[in-house]
Amino acid sequence: MMYEYFKNLESSLEKKINETPKSPNARKKYSLEVARIGKRLYSGKDKIAWTGIGVPFDILNTMGITSCFVEFVGAMLASTGASGNFIKEAENTGYASDSCSYHRAILGALSQNLIPKPDFLVGTTLPCSGGLAVIENMARKFKKSLFVLNVPQEDSLQNIKYLSDQLKDLVNFIQKETGINFDENKLKEGIKKTNKARDLMIEAYNLAKKIPSPVDSRILKDFGIVTALMLGTDAGIEVAKAYRDEFQAKVNSGESGVKGEKIRLLWIQNRIQFRYQLEKWMEEEFSASIVIDELNDITWEKIDVDDPFTGIAKRIISIPFNGKAEKRIEHLKFLAKEYKIQGAINPCNWGCRQGTGERGLISDGLKEIGVPVVNLEIDCIDQRNFAEGQVKTRIAAFIEMISN
Amino acid sequence: MYYLGIDIGSLSCDAVLIDDTKKIVASSVVPTGAKNIEAIKRATHEVIEISGILESDIKASVSTGYGRERVSNRIAAITEITCHAKGIKEVFGKIDVLIDIGGQDSKSIRIDSNGRVIDFAMNDKCAAGTGRFLEAMARALQVDIDELSDLDHGSVGNVTLSSMCTVFAESEVVSLIADGVEVKEIVKGLNSAIASRTSSLVKRVAPELKGLSVAMSGGVARNNGVVRALKEVIETNITVYEKPDIIGALGAALFAMEKSM
Ligand code: SF4
Repeated sequence: MMYEYFKNLESSLEKKINETPKSPNARKKYSLEVARIGKRLYSGKDKIAWTGIGVPFDILNTMGITSCFVEFVGAMLASTGASGNFIKEAENTGYASDSCSYHRAILGALSQNLIPKPDFLVGTTLPCSGGLAVIENMARKFKKSLFVLNVPQEDSLQNIKYLSDQLKDLVNFIQKETGINFDENKLKEGIKKTNKARDLMIEAYNLAKKIPSPVDSRILKDFGIVTALMLGTDAGIEVAKAYRDEFQAKVNSGESGVKGEKIRLLWIQNRIQFRYQLEKWMEEEFSASIVIDELNDITWEKIDVDDPFTGIAKRIISIPFNGKAEKRIEHLKFLAKEYKIQGAINPCNWGCRQGTGERGLISDGLKEIGVPVVNLEIDCIDQRNFAEGQVKTRIAAFIEMISN
Repeated sequence: MYYLGIDIGSLSCDAVLIDDTKKIVASSVVPTGAKNIEAIKRATHEVIEISGILESDIKASVSTGYGRERVSNRIAAITEITCHAKGIKEVFGKIDVLIDIGGQDSKSIRIDSNGRVIDFAMNDKCAAGTGRFLEAMARALQVDIDELSDLDHGSVGNVTLSSMCTVFAESEVVSLIADGVEVKEIVKGLNSAIASRTSSLVKRVAPELKGLSVAMSGGVARNNGVVRALKEVIETNITVYEKPDIIGALGAALFAMEKSM
């Protein structure tokens, strides 16, 4: 069923892209690659791995393994409107309804046998312990080996070495679990592609900073976190280039992503994953645009092709979600300044300790630089938990407040 | 010329008509009921009738409240947060913090000296401490909601409610009645529970209330017992307009005037 879904999605996107081959088609190309990853995950032919966030997908890609973080499944189920049933299923098997709904959706899908059996699993201690627990559950259910990357919080030489040694162990683990031999040259080639995609993404982000911004509120939704799956591949370069080209063309012609852009917003953490036209409504009603997401940024240096493990370790440690709230807040402040933001929206995803626990600190931190924050307290995955009137009133009142 | 403000909330629909001098010439509060379009029509009709003007004398109208998008012939729909701030500034001049408790929402609003919102906080999805909560409690106590207002008189305050969930609180009230606890003590317990919940909303926009002026609007502000309990908890005086439920509609009417100039 899922294989068919992704296959159909792939062919319909290919068709649409072919209708306008000269246009960059950024979002369509991005979605096409996502569909292809989904198709490979469910093909039953590829070697696959389920992972946590922050895993080095370039290493996995260059070893010929299709891999994906499990939260993707939660987001995908929400976007197809099916998350409610799976969440209910997880609750029926004893998972508390106040835990993160990404994880409940995945566990529901797991118990309904909707998640393909992996060859192995890789967990990380990022960004939350709930995610790691889900991977552990999956490993037990599938009776497959799990490798856990213990990501240190501070950026120090010792910590980088500690993590890069674990990455080397990960490579050995993959060789053992799959019988695939690690080829250093292939990784070097992959890292060149990672660096190329990185440069293009930086260019795209820099263009997004322009006033008015060439981005609308939807084009970069989930972009940073999902494009990580494509690192080390030509597809990653292709997608990043399409975004760069699309934004460049818009900037050149003076076209803004949102007509008559008046309000520039920062979205904190995850977007709402089920189909709900919140962004469109904000654009139409207030000419407000989400020009930057917390999860869309390059926080890492170019990786040294001759020393990839060190560079990748630095990249993982640099993720703003890793470590103290202070690091995350400094990053949010940086984004708010860079993108000339007037206000920030924090969805405070239901059940996310990280999202809701830090909300006061985030609000205070951004207030210091004159950027107000509205906290929504919503469920980004479970539409049944969504009070439309309240959310719209909060956002509308917030925009009225910053417009004054 | 006249300007109309309509505040369509979950429990009541309020309309205010003002003239060119910003004077309130008529106001009306009608229950929203199941059909909010009907309530909007009724409230509008009432203010026209009270004032004796013609509908064509209304130059512009602005809607607010959760059903604001349902109002036709409006020049704008503005949230109740912005409208309450505007309305309270008009009736009281400078107010720093406004507490608005309506049918299903409670809000605290921080306002600057120009009547502009500078911060706000809203309750979460739960209706605890709002008009709906009080309605359920009045039902459990078998009294009219308006009677609740002064039923706490003479209480010593020896009842503490363990839950603010409307469902649990309702059954707790029923048990307290069965245990023979005096109604005034139960009502005082309810008021204190609402006050304590509301005070945390207030703290979110004004951690320190010293030197700040505080007002209350919305239907629940008509309940003297809740206002008294809130004053005790936040240790600050609270000013309440004689018709607290029309503040949002008044703000909307003022916006109608401003925006049509
Ligand atoms: S929303 Fe929060 S709890 Fe859920 S996966 Fe993300 S960080 Fe973890």
